[in-house]
Amino acid sequence: MAASPHSKLIDDYRCLPGVPDEMLDAAGKVRADWRYVGQALDALSQGELVKRQHEARRLLRDSGVTYTIHGAPQGLEHPWQLDPIPYLVASDEWAAIESGLMQRAELMNLLLKDIYGPQELIRKGILPLELIYAHGGFLRPCHAIPFPGEHALAFYAADLARGTDGSMWVLGDRSQAPSGAGYALENRVVMTRILPSLFRDAHVHRLALFFQNLRASIAAMAPRAGEEARVIVLTPGPLNETYFEHSFLASYLGYTLAQGDDLTVRDGRVWLRSMKRLEPVDVILRRVDDHYCDPLALRADSRLGVPGLTEAVRRGHVRIINPIGSSVLENPGLFAFLPDIARHLLGQELELPSVASWWCGQPEACSHVLANLDRLLIKPIYREVGSRTIDTSRLSEAARGELKTRIKAQPHLFVGQERIGFSTVPTLVEAGLEARQAVLRSFLVARKDGYVVMPGGLTRVAPSKDSFDVSGQAGGLSKDTWILATEPEKQISLLPASITGITALQRRGDLPGGAANSLFWLGRYAERAEQSARFMRTTLRLHRDAVEYGGSVDQACLDDLLQGLTHLTTTYPGFVGAQGRSRRSEPVPELVALILDGQRRGTISFNLQALLGAAYAVRDRLSGDTWRIVNDIRGRLQHLQTIEYGRGNDLQNHLDDLIMALIALAGGAQESMLRAQAWLFLDMGRRIERALLMISMLRSTVIARRDPQEEALLLESVLRSADSLRAYRHSYHDQPQIGAGLNLLLHDEGNPRSLAFQLGQLQARVVALPHEEGLRITEEQRLVLDAVHRLQLSRLEELVAFDAERPSRLVLDRQLSDIAALLRATSSALTKDYFADLRGPQQLLNDAADAT
Amino acid sequence: MKYRITHRTAYSYSSPVALCQNEAHLTPRSCNMQTVLEHKILISPQTAAYSERVDFFGNHVAYFAVQQPHTELVVTAISAVELDTDNGQLHFQSNACWEEAVTRIRDQLTPANLEARQYLLDSPMVKASADIADYAAMSFLRQRPLVEAVHDLMARIHTDFTYDPGFTEIATPLQHVFEHRRGVCQDFAHLAIACLRTQGLAARYVSGYLETQPPPGQEKLQGADASHAWFAVYDPDVGWLDFDPTNNKIPMHQHITTAWGRDYADITPLKGIVFGGGKHKARVGVDVERI
Repeated sequence: MAASPHSKLIDDYRCLPGVPDEMLDAAGKVRADWRYVGQALDALSQGELVKRQHEARRLLRDSGVTYTIHGAPQGLEHPWQLDPIPYLVASDEWAAIESGLMQRAELMNLLLKDIYGPQELIRKGILPLELIYAHGGFLRPCHAIPFPGEHALAFYAADLARGTDGSMWVLGDRSQAPSGAGYALENRVVMTRILPSLFRDAHVHRLALFFQNLRASIAAMAPRAGEEARVIVLTPGPLNETYFEHSFLASYLGYTLAQGDDLTVRDGRVWLRSMKRLEPVDVILRRVDDHYCDPLALRADSRLGVPGLTEAVRRGHVRIINPIGSSVLENPGLFAFLPDIARHLLGQELELPSVASWWCGQPEACSHVLANLDRLLIKPIYREVGSRTIDTSRLSEAARGELKTRIKAQPHLFVGQERIGFSTVPTLVEAGLEARQAVLRSFLVARKDGYVVMPGGLTRVAPSKDSFDVSGQAGGLSKDTWILATEPEKQISLLPASITGITALQRRGDLPGGAANSLFWLGRYAERAEQSARFMRTTLRLHRDAVEYGGSVDQACLDDLLQGLTHLTTTYPGFVGAQGRSRRSEPVPELVALILDGQRRGTISFNLQALLGAAYAVRDRLSGDTWRIVNDIRGRLQHLQTIEYGRGNDLQNHLDDLIMALIALAGGAQESMLRAQAWLFLDMGRRIERALLMISMLRSTVIARRDPQEEALLLESVLRSADSLRAYRHSYHDQPQIGAGLNLLLHDEGNPRSLAFQLGQLQARVVALPHEEGLRITEEQRLVLDAVHRLQLSRLEELVAFDAERPSRLVLDRQLSDIAALLRATSSALTKDYFADLRGPQQLLNDAADAT
Repeated sequence: MKYRITHRTAYSYSSPVALCQNEAHLTPRSCNMQTVLEHKILISPQTAAYSERVDFFGNHVAYFAVQQPHTELVVTAISAVELDTDNGQLHFQSNACWEEAVTRIRDQLTPANLEARQYLLDSPMVKASADIADYAAMSFLRQRPLVEAVHDLMARIHTDFTYDPGFTEIATPLQHVFEHRRGVCQDFAHLAIACLRTQGLAARYVSGYLETQPPPGQEKLQGADASHAWFAVYDPDVGWLDFDPTNNKIPMHQHITTAWGRDYADITPLKGIVFGGGKHKARVGVDVERI
């Protein structure tokens, strides 16, 4: 890349007054460390950079990188924002930062051990009791639980920013379940794709070694010696704001992702419910907040934790990263005491300064805060719902007075913090480069001989040029963080396990009940969406014919198909209820609603949403390409909901596209998933659903006696909806006839749409399910076998025959409804035997206290 | 004086419980008021993973799980304790005025003061408010001896508040109790504790039992006693002094201490999480007999 001395992007870049800039020095010259990257970016031109940014956006969307913003209209779907310009740190500066971070992590570790142990710092008066005891993160039930090993704090993160004096300051500590490391890694993956040569030539430190250290550190913590540790990533679930990261880290590190109700405590140990078995759990990497971890010992109303977890930890059978109670370190009130604590615990001066802070629990500090309220940020010592940092400069006089009263009433709950300006970093916006304030989150992992720092981190920049609020929740942008090495990093020999190497270690056997449930329903909803779309498409086609040609046969068939559609989608009353007749005479509004109304159970939009929710809950188990298809379906759903429907014709085209995407999803699962338990459940869901829908279609079209022409047209519609019309014509070269048609749709094992095919596949799946030793036949096997036999033993001539007394194929109807009942029972049996325990937990009420 | 206490809690469920885990604060602690002579907890059905430990506040707590399907759980704690009746004398040894107590606990970093300081802060069920502070202030006149002021507060609560078992439940917020002036022993203890903390005094919640006497001429009924709760205030000179606002008296011969903490939430007698069970009902019976 040639360097252009008068590059426009950088020439036009303007710093903010009063704060330093990362790229330009005080004289407005590009700093030496930025020269190479700056020139390279300039050479790319604004247009090219924007293109790369779009590419980044596409890559992030395709891999489903999201961050949930509470209350945002997109719900689960907020895409992660990555700016293509990295945040650079030169290697010599990084060495000093790294050393300071290692010291701070060590200090936090010792502080944690002291707080939950001897409390020497409090007894010696170095740390005020109230600062710890009034902090919501100090959990008394966790006191005196021994921490095995040197490092209680296995994983730690700190937020850093460069102040106006040019040095790095710590803005905050993250100790209970630091988030962001997975996003940092994902940012890196994308950056190496969109700017490959720049990345290669800039000599950037790699991240993989850090994650290997994390894995090794976790493995070393397992209390059971000799065996490979079972490590669980405990997530609050898909609604959590950083769920993407939980699932990403679980699959990247090769751990099982589980929710609280996938785990249970028995005999004082933690077990994973997986496929009717209880598997011992050694280490839990948690993303559930402290209070929610154990409804028995902590918050009784928590549905996210595991009752008895604290007791299991106390007994030493399981390690939790980080220990329950470690949010006690997330306390800005500690900043003022850290220098003394460092001297006392480490015999050292604190290397990295924290932002100047005054804890109001001390009378002098409190007076200072009250006197200087206007130029400080006021923070609660403990972050919880409803508590936040207060920027006093934005308060009215009255609100300021009120705040003062609150501080005076409970001073020990508040901290005054200096409002500092952070350095800015160039960020790509529509008009070019803009200076945005940046915060770097650094990550550390404990190894036997000390902490290891991630050579990189997650940089977030403010959402606008005059904003100070740098957090994911404020909707900010993120950046990759490049620590520049002085020479190219020799990596291959140092890194025996690449990303794929690590993933290959994943335990294949574990499938938590919650995940099995989601896979099963992913299969069912995908099939339901696909089949309803096909039936809908056939119905729309007939509707068009009936409108255009007005034939009585078309009209009669349409009437039946509309009712069939309501039965198939179970969207009663629809075309069958009291208003059924009038709706059938003017069917378009209801048809449109059956496609678009996402609020109504059974519609195509509803099924797609359910499909997406289920897919999101097991995203760690879906292949990259499968996930891309899921994203494509999401895009189509969003598009579908924005269109004007016209006269129904356009809907047909959209349905065609949607069906193609759903076929791709089915194909992806078939071709890319390991034939392990996850696939079994996905496929069972699909087979059961396809069989049930086939039964539903047949029962609403071929049971009642109809005019022969009408019957032929209805049968043709069912064949078309089951994508079997070609197959029929190929085999029979004829107008559809009931006997041949039923044979193809019911008994033909070579037709992948037939009922026989579904039951055969289902039978193979239930036989492959793990079950108790010595059990002759499981409930699922018995039910499916029964269904298979009923179908196999049925005679076609009896099925097509009408009842002697009534104009109806009663034998066929009975056979189909019996098989449907067996399939539903199979679904219930799977739910009971393999999915999460649906019966609890509940808190015992203690009205024992009717005292004297 | 020696007592035997039998505290029986029975839960019955409308459908089977697959797994239950419990924590029990049912073991009396030995302290300067009393000596525990014997203690056992009987649990039916059979438990798995039973263990005992000492909690953050120095109380005995038992953890247990029942891992077999069951429709009834019965937990019976049987204890024998001997009360040292001389301990009521502590109240007479306390001479300090209440302001002195406030200053000393704040400024003197002795181990006992430090231990007491945690009882100055708000706790899960006891949150101070301006109304409560005003109510308390009427008893804390300038230079009044600590014991006299607390005595006065106890007497006022006893007079101003109506004992009404139907009015509150465990989760009723203290502010609601304060506004409606009714409640049961926990509520009165919590209220007194809130009052004391607003004045800068350390106060803790004590749970235990009270021996009751049958009306004259009647025999004492089985299970007629109940668990009880009161509070203690800290005097840096002599230590913790107990007061019973429900009965407006100094606990002495008839109050048996089980546990203490910041409030009820720290020392709930029996709590549990069950899987399954459907609807459940709890029945509690307490007998306190002299031996």
